[in-house]
Amino acid sequence: MNWQATALSADDNVAVVLQPVAAGEDVAVKLGERLVTIRALEPIALCHKIALVDLRPGDAVLKYGEHIGEATAPIARGAWVHIHNLRSRRARLTP
Amino acid sequence: MSGSAFDGFRRSDGTVGVRNHVLVMSVTGLTSPTARRIGRAVPGVRVITTQYGSGLMGEDAVLQRRALTGFGRHPNVGAALVIGATPPLVHEIAEAIATTGKPVEALVFDDCEHDAITLTERGTRFAARMMREASRARRTRVALEALCLGMECGRSDPSSGLVSNPLVGCAVDAVIDAGGRAVFGETIEWLGAEHLLARRAVDATVARAIESAVARREQTAVAAGMDLLGNNPGPTNIAGGLSTIEEKSLGAIAKGGHAPIRGVVAIAEPLPGPGLYLMDAPAYAPESVGGLVASGAQLILFTTGVGNSFVSGIAPTIKISGNPVASRRLGEQLDFDASDVFERRTSLAEAAKRLTELVLEIASGSLTWGEVLNEGEDVVSRLGPAL
Repeated sequence: MNWQATALSADDNVAVVLQPVAAGEDVAVKLGERLVTIRALEPIALCHKIALVDLRPGDAVLKYGEHIGEATAPIARGAWVHIHNLRSRRARLTP
Repeated sequence: MSGSAFDGFRRSDGTVGVRNHVLVMSVTGLTSPTARRIGRAVPGVRVITTQYGSGLMGEDAVLQRRALTGFGRHPNVGAALVIGATPPLVHEIAEAIATTGKPVEALVFDDCEHDAITLTERGTRFAARMMREASRARRTRVALEALCLGMECGRSDPSSGLVSNPLVGCAVDAVIDAGGRAVFGETIEWLGAEHLLARRAVDATVARAIESAVARREQTAVAAGMDLLGNNPGPTNIAGGLSTIEEKSLGAIAKGGHAPIRGVVAIAEPLPGPGLYLMDAPAYAPESVGGLVASGAQLILFTTGVGNSFVSGIAPTIKISGNPVASRRLGEQLDFDASDVFERRTSLAEAAKRLTELVLEIASGSLTWGEVLNEGEDVVSRLGPAL
């Protein structure tokens, strides 16, 4: 069994895609030790992130089982997660 | 990897070199063109220059001396020619290098009729003799505990945190388990992961030092009115898929492996003993690698996502990427292709074994791409204003 995206911790709500993903494609995600399937809502470039669950603005985004920032917009399961909908919680000039 | 060994150059101070470089080092900006001229006259020497001189003050003056002295004392350096236009500084650095027992010559511009051509001529003769003498050294079998690794990442992408940094972490664990040492810096890339590093600190003092080093960098960025997005992660990181500094840091710290963290050293400060150390230092590769090398790292394990050509001139720099596209593109830059792990064809443990073998092979004399292409540079970071 192979997979096209990896999340190192079972707690993660995003995964890194290991190959470019097309909109509508079913992506097998290795989530910790499990495999789950997520349908990509949009194209996602190699090494970019796919949302594994629906996220609301302000929700913590988890990778490596740790906070990597918070959602700045609603993010649907299967969406591309990057700087347009995720921002750091650290070293911020504005609250 | 217990019981494994490599072929190195034993130095009279007990350290071991993985290379046997002759260094031509200008410790003042005024004499740096002369150092480069000597380098052209005696191919094969390693040239180190600075742009700075008597205007440096405070911490910067201390750092310049410490780093340049560290380059000269480095185990990979078999002999050093120190030149400069500030007599006390030249002699101070040359004497600090000489305590290692290696051949050192000092030449001062003022003693050469203030003439760069005279300095070039005398320096060329010294460098030529040093090269001939250094070539008589032979490698002998040495235990792994003699190694000090420096770890660096540059132009990272998410493949770094997923594959190449954890791989490097495995090699670091093996060296530390054998009694060796390792160090990584790039303080801003601990931000968001400092709690994990602090948890690995050997005591509360070290844990506090880790946390306050990160807090200082974070406050410096905020005080400068600087948004880290676009700086770190930078444009190349962002294009590669890294979205925040926390994400980058959590991937970056994997290159430190799993050993307890024994302390936090200042940039270019020699490591006090075996084990894993952190260096509180800037993240930009030339400044960071310069600090690691000056602290005594004989080899740099340098991970990249999309590619980074910077290497040290003193410490062989092993370039590693897990990004399959970069690995196909960068045949003469990447020393270790970890894309088979990224593509799920090889386990991390298997690739780690292969990487550790490559570390020993390069420690024993095999060349890195950076050495083949002569990309090496060793520079000293700057901290504040100068007079």
